[in-house]
Amino acid sequence: MRTSTRAQGRRPALPAALTALWRIPSARVALLVLAGIAFLAVFGEALAPHDPIKQYTDEVLQGPSAAHLLGTDYVGRDVLSRLMAGTRLSVLGAVEAVLIGAALGVPTGLASVWLGPRLEWISLRISDTLVILPFTVFAIAVAGTLGNGLQQAMIAVGVLISPTFYRITRSVALGLRKAQYVEAAELMGATEWWTLRTHIWSKVLPNVAVTSAQATGSALLVVASLSFLGLGVTPPAPTWGGMLSADLGYLAQQPWAPIFPVALMMATVGSLNLLADAIRDVTGAAPRRRRRRRRGISHVPAPRKEQHDVVPV
Amino acid sequence: MAKQTRSSQQPALPLNRRGFLSLGLGASLIFALEACGGTSTTGAAGSGGAGGGTITWAWQLPTTWDPVTSSAGSDVQMLALVYDPLTALDAQGNAVPWLAESWRYDKSGRRVTFTLRPGLTFSDGTPIDATAVAKSIERGRTADGSLIAPQMTTIAKVTASGKRDVVLDLAEVDYQYPLLFAGKTGMVVNPAAFEKDAAALATQPAGSGPFAVTKYIQNDHASMTKNDSFFLAEEIKVSAFELYPQADPATAVAAVQSGQYNLGRLSGAQVQQAKDAGLEVQVIDSMYVAVLDVHSGMAPFDDPAVVEALKFAIDREKIKEVANFGVGDVNYQPFPPGYVGYAESLADAYAYDPERARRLLSDAGYTAPVPVVLTDSGLSSAVIELIQAQLDGVGFDVTIETIPRTQATQLVYIEHSRALTYDGFAGRESPVQAFQVLFGAEGLMNPGRETDPDLEAQLTKVKQTPTDDPDYPALLQKATEIAVRAFPNTFLYLVPNIIARQGVSELPALPSLRRFEGVKVS
Repeated sequence: MRTSTRAQGRRPALPAALTALWRIPSARVALLVLAGIAFLAVFGEALAPHDPIKQYTDEVLQGPSAAHLLGTDYVGRDVLSRLMAGTRLSVLGAVEAVLIGAALGVPTGLASVWLGPRLEWISLRISDTLVILPFTVFAIAVAGTLGNGLQQAMIAVGVLISPTFYRITRSVALGLRKAQYVEAAELMGATEWWTLRTHIWSKVLPNVAVTSAQATGSALLVVASLSFLGLGVTPPAPTWGGMLSADLGYLAQQPWAPIFPVALMMATVGSLNLLADAIRDVTGAAPRRRRRRRRGISHVPAPRKEQHDVVPV
Repeated sequence: MAKQTRSSQQPALPLNRRGFLSLGLGASLIFALEACGGTSTTGAAGSGGAGGGTITWAWQLPTTWDPVTSSAGSDVQMLALVYDPLTALDAQGNAVPWLAESWRYDKSGRRVTFTLRPGLTFSDGTPIDATAVAKSIERGRTADGSLIAPQMTTIAKVTASGKRDVVLDLAEVDYQYPLLFAGKTGMVVNPAAFEKDAAALATQPAGSGPFAVTKYIQNDHASMTKNDSFFLAEEIKVSAFELYPQADPATAVAAVQSGQYNLGRLSGAQVQQAKDAGLEVQVIDSMYVAVLDVHSGMAPFDDPAVVEALKFAIDREKIKEVANFGVGDVNYQPFPPGYVGYAESLADAYAYDPERARRLLSDAGYTAPVPVVLTDSGLSSAVIELIQAQLDGVGFDVTIETIPRTQATQLVYIEHSRALTYDGFAGRESPVQAFQVLFGAEGLMNPGRETDPDLEAQLTKVKQTPTDDPDYPALLQKATEIAVRAFPNTFLYLVPNIIARQGVSELPALPSLRRFEGVKVS
């Protein structure tokens, strides 16, 4: 009985899912771009051709040249080096916010289904409240209260992302709560913790993965927006949003300068969204109705035995 | 049975989800409307002069339209559109007649009489007589919350003598009042307005200046029409004035070029762009000087050697060249060259000398980089980052702290909680008033609240010397020298007004105020 129930609750193993992902062209592109971004986040500062905060004050607002491939900024810093070094703060901030959101939203979503109506009501009202708060304004308010820093801003963004995780998790868990094999396990004396761990988590995880990819893209834009407004990261530390903000003050001298940070942001966010789509298709974390309409996924169908517990997200 | 079922379906708390969302939405809507609404006032214009076009000026909105409670020195520019002071300043900073056609001190120097021009009226038609002016001055020095009262502490009594003479009896000799009354302190507010509702002045100014506000939307714009009661009304060649906040640097030139504004404020970075766009660019010398507010009571600036090193560590020429695109002049004191208080002896007082700065720090025993937090309220990223790099280069370890501009007044001027702040001093009509702001025991820009007996003694001499006395310039310049040497404030460079014009004739080049007499719109 146990073996059978566990088998029903399992998604494809991670290597299989990755292989399936790699077969989707858009996912392949997204993974390559994101691998490049991850590489820059780790090694960008070390590999930058110049010190990203070194000011060449005799070469201010220069165009691209052999010495400075993407030119220099308003105090003569090398733009390419700042883009490379700025990747870490820009991306890690977004990842941090998503981790906070997931840490708050996923357990609460599961608890709202399993731990009784009072917790359910309270958590739903909190979630409703958080959903109506605008990201940037809330982050500014938190930064104003707790101090202007990346950590404070990311806590704020993470809190506002958490309802997304909460609702996704709750929606999956609600569908599984009445599944026959879950009820059977409970009838046989399985504890709630055992049921959650064995039957529910594996179904929730793909949905969390999809949400994480999408939320990271959103968080990246919020981090960029906050940096654009001068919040979160202290100058002269480079960030994509901060560079974009600074460039706008010198459009007369360098009208092309905003293209560089914007291109990186677009590539990263676009790749994350493509990856989210692909994960959803591969893991079956999408509504069947939508999956049928989409092109190019017939070659990666979800296992037949899984279809009974596909839950709309 | 049915009753039991319904009971079991009731939520844990009485409000259902839809109700909660409706409640939340309603509350949000109320807050949003409240937040976005601001304050809109529509007042009766003093008049609406004949045609002549409209000046649309993207400059700044005042913190309030009441000169008594105005908290920013730069408000005087906007307040001068609707209020008249008793005196004005000429290009050299000397007091000249305005509402008062003359003034005279008695022999003791403890009584000054201002004689008003005949036939003056406020924009609502009420006569401006000595009684009205006396009431206005009395309110400025006694009203709760008055921010100009500290400048009038030496006034013992204000009285009206006849229709046109306003008499100030002074507790001590003070020859600065004709200068002081050229700014907010001397702006005459209609007593009919503040006796009825003084709080309303914040949004509904009541003065006699060249324009009268007809509509004001807080944080958005002010609409004004020409005030035909203004005593120089024939010099006002436009019929209306629209005042807006400064345009975003990215769009400032385009906004003037497109006709959204016909007068715009630019930074040095936009000068060439404006010229290329075919706009007239006018650079007017001003009293504004960029300065680092240094708190001598906070580490590391409680050590005079560190303060001295700071003054020599900054390459002001480089900042001017890089951040200001060569506009403006390096300056080591609070007054511009040509002003009566400008001390020639300070012309190169703290010229960039990194070696000397390093030596000062090492002689004082600093072997490791000296940690410093440099506070920025968003005035100029380029300047802040250049200063950081320059200070790091001589042995400081500077961290930049960015605070919202709205919090700067509270944190820097009121709480005095910041050790080093990039700031700007807009100048004052009276040099003694400037000293009080920068170096006085209660000075806003003296975060350490330190005083210097030598400076106090010198300022007493300045106040007791008539401004037309031959000794006055030397006494004032000596005070400047004492202050700059003794106090930690680090002056950086002069910031001129850069104005882009589209279809507007040249503005009078006064250093203290932007005035619009004779300005035409084509």
